[in-house]
Amino acid sequence: MPFPFSAFQLPRSASIALLATVLCGVLPRAYAATQEELEARVQSLAEQLHVVQVELATLKQQRGSTTPTPEVSSTPAVAAATPDAGSGGPTWFGYGELNYTRPSDNTAQTTADVARFVVGAGYRFDERTRFVSELEVEHSVSSADDPGEVEVEQAYLERAFSGGISGRAGLLLIPSGLLNENHEPTRYYGVFRNFVETSIIPTTWREGGIAAQGNTANGLRWDVGLTTGFDLAKWDASSEGEGQESPLGSIHQELALAHARDLSGFAAVNYTGQPGLRLGASLFSGGASQGQLGLPSANVTLWEGHARWTPAGWDVAALYARGSISGTRQINTTLVGNPVLVPKEFFGWYVQTAYRAMDNGSSSLVPFLRYERFNTASDYADIGLGLTPAALPDRKAWTGGLNWTLAPGVVVKADYVDFQNSPVGDRFDLGIGYQF
Amino acid sequence: MQEREWPLLTATALAAAALAPVQIVVAAEFLSIDDAQRSLFAQAERFEEIIPVLTPAQKKAVTELAGPQPPHRSLRVWRAMRGTSLLGHVFVDEVIGRQDFITYAAGIDLDGRSTKVEVLAYRESHGAEIRGAAWREQFKGREGLGQLRFRADIKNIAGATLSSEHVTQGVRWLVALWQVTLRQGANPAASGSQ
Repeated sequence: MPFPFSAFQLPRSASIALLATVLCGVLPRAYAATQEELEARVQSLAEQLHVVQVELATLKQQRGSTTPTPEVSSTPAVAAATPDAGSGGPTWFGYGELNYTRPSDNTAQTTADVARFVVGAGYRFDERTRFVSELEVEHSVSSADDPGEVEVEQAYLERAFSGGISGRAGLLLIPSGLLNENHEPTRYYGVFRNFVETSIIPTTWREGGIAAQGNTANGLRWDVGLTTGFDLAKWDASSEGEGQESPLGSIHQELALAHARDLSGFAAVNYTGQPGLRLGASLFSGGASQGQLGLPSANVTLWEGHARWTPAGWDVAALYARGSISGTRQINTTLVGNPVLVPKEFFGWYVQTAYRAMDNGSSSLVPFLRYERFNTASDYADIGLGLTPAALPDRKAWTGGLNWTLAPGVVVKADYVDFQNSPVGDRFDLGIGYQF
Repeated sequence: MQEREWPLLTATALAAAALAPVQIVVAAEFLSIDDAQRSLFAQAERFEEIIPVLTPAQKKAVTELAGPQPPHRSLRVWRAMRGTSLLGHVFVDEVIGRQDFITYAAGIDLDGRSTKVEVLAYRESHGAEIRGAAWREQFKGREGLGQLRFRADIKNIAGATLSSEHVTQGVRWLVALWQVTLRQGANPAASGSQ
């Protein structure tokens, strides 16, 4: 492993200079020096170097050096040192996942996929101001004839203020649930994200707008924001597709020429004041008709609560989420005859436990088990006898598997999903994921 | 100054410049370095900065002791002094969180016990929960690397995993550095030069 401190590594030119110094001062008599004498001389040279540092710094200060003065007290030697920590060029990061999934009841639907390939770029303009972005390719190839998508997943400017408060503007992740802000494959158990935080909370959920975040010393984090919201005009009532899989996932706008007449607001709190424990809740609400012709006034609201506890080797998590859409009686009246009307209510919850069976610091083996219950259309607004759709039955699923972290940021996963009320959806999954 | 002295002076100056630590600018900070020093060693009267000088063998020993490490950017070290008595050492280190560096301070007393950690600057959008006092207090009184294991001794923060893991690994590095170079009785050549 390389020595992690660049400060201890001499540049090539300086190494040559230092070598020359050592040779001039030591070599002529080295044949007679003992190990102790040599070490003493190295120590002496180090002390002399420090003296020169101080003298150089003093000279620079006397000559009005343009080297920025540190904002904290320090010795002259450090004042003479180098660059502003705020500038360092762009930073690059990324994550991705490659999956194999084999449905038990229909093996002809077995697929292998580059599910996500994400690269991120950040840039720090100064110590307080930065830009963060993520660009994602889903399903490998994106074209008119291919299933892939290219998406800007995050793109925002962030400014830090005093007191642990920061503000953001741009395309932001909504602080909802346990996964939305931590959606990289190394962060969750199972090859795929859990059903609740896919079908009910449309992870990775982002909106355009402004937001503020604060963190207090007693472990409380709060988030508030004003953003774009959903667009009910995107609801596809004609096919049993995304609307039934994820009501909000089918009407989110992802800041792609988003209708923005009706804005939404969110608020979230998370408490981590007890080491190993996270408790949190969030609320998102806003208009979804966007003033479009033929759409009555409607609101989308989603709230959730979550907890995660990691006592010695264990990782226990639970989440409950519930969403509602108002104004659906008027909307569905215009959609009668279509197979998928707009639900009034939807919800989901899960409990999950994982145990770190092996952990040597850089690799680990973690089996997990998760139980989920969710319903993407648990209630419909009454539009009359024979016209109001029946609520869907709750879906219940067990997912059990293994996360094998090979190295920090590299994970191999395997799991099996078993739906309780129907064999449809049962599957075996394999996947690899990475984050850097 | 005689002409023949210039090459030696130049070489010495270059070497000195190369050894100078990267300046830590803490603008969007929660704590200044001065405040962090006083927080970690409240009884100290002054802090004397030192520059650790490591031999290749010592670097190797520190690396092996500390275990896996995230990228570090810079390090500064002070002796916490009361009168003529050495109370311990204060370290201000920077480790990567996910995309950007976290500036934090930790102390180690003469018996090798670590102090709590202070976060001087946190620059990322997510993960600032490591500022929480309860999480930082977990480091206090740990004796050696056997009591500084991530997750086992220092609890993870869900949602701030990389930051909490990397700061823990960083403190492990500081403890290893202290054990190899700064502990009383360690190899004199390893001691920092004042």
